[in-house]
Amino acid sequence: MHALIGENGAGKSTLMNILSGKLVPDAGEIVWAGAKIAFASPLDALRTGIAMVPQELTVCPDLSVAENVMLGAQRTGAVGIDWRATREIAATNLAVLDAAIDPAMRMRDLSTARQQFVQIARATAARAKVLIFDEPTASLAEREADRLSAFIRAFRAEGGAIFYISHRLDEILALADRITVLRDGAVICEMDPATATKEAMVRHMAGRPVAALSKRPAREAREMQAPALRVAGLTRAGEFRDVSFELRAGEILGLSGLVGSGRTELAKSIFGATRPDSGRIEVHGRTVRHRSPADAIRNGVVYLPEERKKEGIFALLSVQENLGVAELDRFRGPLGIRWNRVAAAARDYAQRLSIRAPSLDSPIAALSGGNQQKVILARWLLADCKILLLDEPTRGIDVNAKAEIQALLRRLTELGHAILYISSELQELLEVSDRILVMHEGMTKGTLAAGEASQEQLLRVAMS
Amino acid sequence: MSEQIAPAPARRQLPRTSVAPLRWLLRKEAGGILLALVLLCAGISIAAPNFLGTYNLVVVARQASFVGLLALGQTLVLLLGGIDLSIGASAGLSAIVGALILTHFGPPPILALLLTVGFGFAIGLANGVFVAVLRLNPFIVTLASWEIFAGTTLVITHGYPVQPLGDAFHWYGGGGVFGVPMPVVFFLVVAAILTWMLGFSRFGRNIYGIGGNREAARLVGIPVVRVEAIVYGLAGALAAFGGILYASRMNSAEPAIGEDWLMGAITAAIIGGTSLRGGQGTILGTVLGTLLMAVLGNGMALLNVSGYWARVVVGGVVLVAVLVDLLRRR
Repeated sequence: MHALIGENGAGKSTLMNILSGKLVPDAGEIVWAGAKIAFASPLDALRTGIAMVPQELTVCPDLSVAENVMLGAQRTGAVGIDWRATREIAATNLAVLDAAIDPAMRMRDLSTARQQFVQIARATAARAKVLIFDEPTASLAEREADRLSAFIRAFRAEGGAIFYISHRLDEILALADRITVLRDGAVICEMDPATATKEAMVRHMAGRPVAALSKRPAREAREMQAPALRVAGLTRAGEFRDVSFELRAGEILGLSGLVGSGRTELAKSIFGATRPDSGRIEVHGRTVRHRSPADAIRNGVVYLPEERKKEGIFALLSVQENLGVAELDRFRGPLGIRWNRVAAAARDYAQRLSIRAPSLDSPIAALSGGNQQKVILARWLLADCKILLLDEPTRGIDVNAKAEIQALLRRLTELGHAILYISSELQELLEVSDRILVMHEGMTKGTLAAGEASQEQLLRVAMS
Repeated sequence: MSEQIAPAPARRQLPRTSVAPLRWLLRKEAGGILLALVLLCAGISIAAPNFLGTYNLVVVARQASFVGLLALGQTLVLLLGGIDLSIGASAGLSAIVGALILTHFGPPPILALLLTVGFGFAIGLANGVFVAVLRLNPFIVTLASWEIFAGTTLVITHGYPVQPLGDAFHWYGGGGVFGVPMPVVFFLVVAAILTWMLGFSRFGRNIYGIGGNREAARLVGIPVVRVEAIVYGLAGALAAFGGILYASRMNSAEPAIGEDWLMGAITAAIIGGTSLRGGQGTILGTVLGTLLMAVLGNGMALLNVSGYWARVVVGGVVLVAVLVDLLRRR
């Protein structure tokens, strides 16, 4: 297994897209089994034996799981598709990954993690010899990530080769046979996982030392602050039940739990994107009812979505409009929105949050993930919202931007912001939070002080 | 992955050489179509010198305005990522309703006009409620309401025109100021207001936001349902305006008004650079698209191109326009 690491924009995905036939290289050659080859399409590459498992789900949600595995490769008999043979091949390939997935189910009824497994099964069903994974564990919780690791080891043992792109360095150290570091589109060095350290990897990726994030010092004063947000007995059928917690001003409360534990659903309900069935929400001691996100925003409660592209950014609009979109009323003059004021505010926040953009006038899609995330954060800071519900705020963001965002969040708590920090990465939660709330299957399992907790403890609490 | 390596040069930093203005023009959303319109006008005026006559230009502009008003409404709906197939029928039904109000109750002409536009807004809003509140597919909803509106027009009129509408009312569609026909004035004024709205009002920016990313719009607190419903209402109101102006011009509300206006309205918006996927497009583009279609039609008439062939040419122009747009984006 060959791991590829590098910051966002280092060229990892581009390189892999070339190998899997999605993009055509300008120069250079690909050698397969001793012979030079060129791919005109992903189908070409697949026929050769190279399959890419994309980072984002590319599935047909209304078809069955089996058909998703076999899409474009259905077995045909004398009279059209031989459904029995097709289903059998799908089932065999799925069983290797997760025996609990029923091939007859409709795709949309599977969890995100399982849909991702179906994508992997699609690659193995095509008898790929080389698998390319682009951030496979970004949406997986620990247990599913373990399942994936087991699969990778088995695939390797059978003579398969794997390219593996990930930001999770621990994972790479545990699994990889070789590590290649990319930066600015060039190979920086190759590392041996037996001797490599996380610090060295980060150093090569960044090209400069990254400010190490130490554990947050426990602050007694924080204990004294009044709760900014209090949730009591919140329930939404099928998602979470009887959830109660307090989020104090000046605090980062980590929210831990496996994918499917109801974390995102809980945050969305507090934000008014969905309505809870029962329970109470208090903001600064006042009971509130959020019937829509607009209500929540008025109360200073905002939600930063997990799916940045799908729910967070307006890809076609400029950076400055993305930043000001929630607060355009403030810039209104007698002749409508004063765009020069919006631009000035955007410049101000871009500087404070060190947002790197070609120009604030360019579409936000031109920015890297980390910078997009900062723009979305700035959107709510501009709107003066003090209670931030952040859902996987550093997902898919490179190490440096991640450290910057976490440092920024800490500064915000000193200004009295209250932050709920949802993450699947336990290490990250331990580093950034004051306390950690653990959820499992829709219920809260307990709260730990981050200073004293460990990853094992978090898992134990979740499973208990 | 498109990471910023070097900052792209800002538009205003382009060198001011002789090609720069052209390049600037082409980079602008509506630049290509403006260029095409100018070239087309130049070509036609060479082939048919009477094209540039004042009388002909006035006729072209007036003819363009009726469908143009519908195209403006359609642009708003397309920006949302929706589509309104019923606007032609809305124009017809509203014109009939307006004409009946006028002939039965004899209100002041301006009041009749406003009531008609209000009626158009109401039936458009009905579309909007189905689309925005019930989340039904706009193509299907407006396909159904197209039939309903067109059928209602026939139920009311039995196929006979409502006329005469009176001399006082004729001014809105048939009159003019400084030689400019009133429909053209209305068309340009509405276009100017909408340009302001889309660029400088919260409501207008919300339309781009919803069209670009509906879920993100909801999560930043934009009242998605309300904006969407109102936009369909506006499309209906603009359709009614176009329909009643046409009736005023003809001094007669024919049941056939608006029957063949829908495709022209969609075509003008698309040629003007409005994306069917929502979130992209400008009013200026639609105005130019409307003019381009009108000039093309007029030019072919002047050159004695058969009406049968004219339709083929129009279809070809649409295909070329989207191809050029595709290349420009690359």
